[in-house]
Amino acid sequence: MRYILLLLLTLNLFAVDATLTIEKDVEARSRIALVDGSALPQPKLSAILRSDLKISGHFLPDSTIHKGAFGERFIPPALKSKEYLLRYRLSQTKGVKLEVRLQRASDGTILFKKHYAIGDRRKTPFLVHKAVSDINDALKYPDISWINRYVVYARYTLPRKSEIVLADYTFNYQKVIIRGGLNLFPKWADKAQKSFYYTSYRGVLPTLYRVNIYTGAKQRVVASEGMLVCTDVSRDGSRLLLTMAPNGQADIYELNLRTHAKKRITKFSGIDVGGKYINNESQVLFVSSRLGYANIFKKPLGSSAVSQVVHHGRNNNACDTHGNQIVYSSRESNHAFASNTFNLYLSLANGSGTRPLTTTGANQFPRFSTDGSVILFIKHTQRGSAIGYTNLMSRQSLLFPISGRKIQSIDW
Amino acid sequence: MIKQQQLAIALLLGALLSGCGQPAPALDGSSNVAPTGLGGLGGETVTIDEAGGAYGSTSEDGASSISDGTPYNSSTEGLKSIYFGFDNYTVSSKMENRIYSNATHVRTRGLRKVKVEGNCDEFGTDEYNYALGLKRAKAVKDRMVAQGVSADSMVIVSLGESNPSCSQPTDGCYEQNRRVDLHPLR
Repeated sequence: MRYILLLLLTLNLFAVDATLTIEKDVEARSRIALVDGSALPQPKLSAILRSDLKISGHFLPDSTIHKGAFGERFIPPALKSKEYLLRYRLSQTKGVKLEVRLQRASDGTILFKKHYAIGDRRKTPFLVHKAVSDINDALKYPDISWINRYVVYARYTLPRKSEIVLADYTFNYQKVIIRGGLNLFPKWADKAQKSFYYTSYRGVLPTLYRVNIYTGAKQRVVASEGMLVCTDVSRDGSRLLLTMAPNGQADIYELNLRTHAKKRITKFSGIDVGGKYINNESQVLFVSSRLGYANIFKKPLGSSAVSQVVHHGRNNNACDTHGNQIVYSSRESNHAFASNTFNLYLSLANGSGTRPLTTTGANQFPRFSTDGSVILFIKHTQRGSAIGYTNLMSRQSLLFPISGRKIQSIDW
Repeated sequence: MIKQQQLAIALLLGALLSGCGQPAPALDGSSNVAPTGLGGLGGETVTIDEAGGAYGSTSEDGASSISDGTPYNSSTEGLKSIYFGFDNYTVSSKMENRIYSNATHVRTRGLRKVKVEGNCDEFGTDEYNYALGLKRAKAVKDRMVAQGVSADSMVIVSLGESNPSCSQPTDGCYEQNRRVDLHPLR
């Protein structure tokens, strides 16, 4: 009997699969009730609030939005089983004001309260993100300040025309920041998101500019025949990885902004694009056609040795990095005249520990959050397109539908 | 007294110039409410209009002007577009007549500079697709050089999938977008 019990226990110990892991994570998250105390119900704001709490990986928000007075301290008996109760109130006189109050559900103790205000009503989603980020901090959960960041993306409008747009991570806020002409490949220039780089096709040659989003001050950085893309920025902002083709050959270059020195990193007669710093900026990860199809390779900055990183798939044509983690998009069908399936995979820079992040649709443009905990991607399916987020710790995913014009590239 | 006046003018100018460094005025939907509790997120951002300029001003020849069996053309001023297969950047033998025609045209007309633009269909992904367009433009340039056109008289640029000449979801339409266009520069 003892051996049978031991055998059962052993089987149970090794029966940990993805589903069980998720169940365990669900149990680990804090159950939180939402009480809207606004004069009129705010379903859109409530939806953003729920999304923020959910994607944080630290909260399990109620699917029901309750109605109740903002100033009330009494906890309804039905909500006492939760850990927290979040009361909020939105008022819209002269701009927008959001008040939040977090209570412990068991005894009504106020754990956090703050109000947020802004003149531009369109920026209301940022008020919600900041409130959730502050509540998360107040409870001393791991940082989720990435939800406060701007997403910058380029979208095609007409042949030879595009726009560069600023958005919040849910795309509920969107504002065109550069319109007219063909302007592509936006890439944030600094951690504070005050400026970004982009490629302008206004002149004869593609030209890289840096623009300040608050003042509009624009600075020409470099131009190149063929193509020009800023693919990564060093942590201190002093060096850029560029895809350039001064001789008609797409290769990775590093531009030192202090000395204006350009260094050619790759020298290959095929295609080398998408350079990203890895391993404390000592190496560069990039997409190359060296094997006759797009795949992921790496090389040290000071050496010519190139090594293959991904040993899976037959067309891996986009990637991003954070530390020594990599995420890449892999084409898993080969239709010449129809949409293909692209899935995202997470791996390490040494090629080990690969795991799929998506299983359906065309998933492209993978981008790590600044802390590496979440991956942004664009998903296209038969039913439409969406911007998606996968929290790597909680394995929670969210999709926000997007409609209209085709996204060309994205950064956050 | 004069010195005091100069000082006053200098102070006034200083105040005016410092005003130029302030963020752009609030746009639609905003009011004068000071951002609260938002850190750097409260700042108002600008919108820049880059319409106009050299880009996007080319006109197109009609397909009727071409009689070599390929019913498309989106190059200008007597030059002819070169078309490619799916995921391919080799100039096919079918396109050699067009290369010859373009090279002859550039030499006999004495065109000083020609822009060679590589294009792709919509099935690639961001940067890699631009690199594919570049390979197509480079292949056409190399074939033109082999036909006696000076390499210095051509500038190549990839437009990736940004410049479709056809937007219908048909095979014929996708074929039209996998191309290299040639435009004289002035």
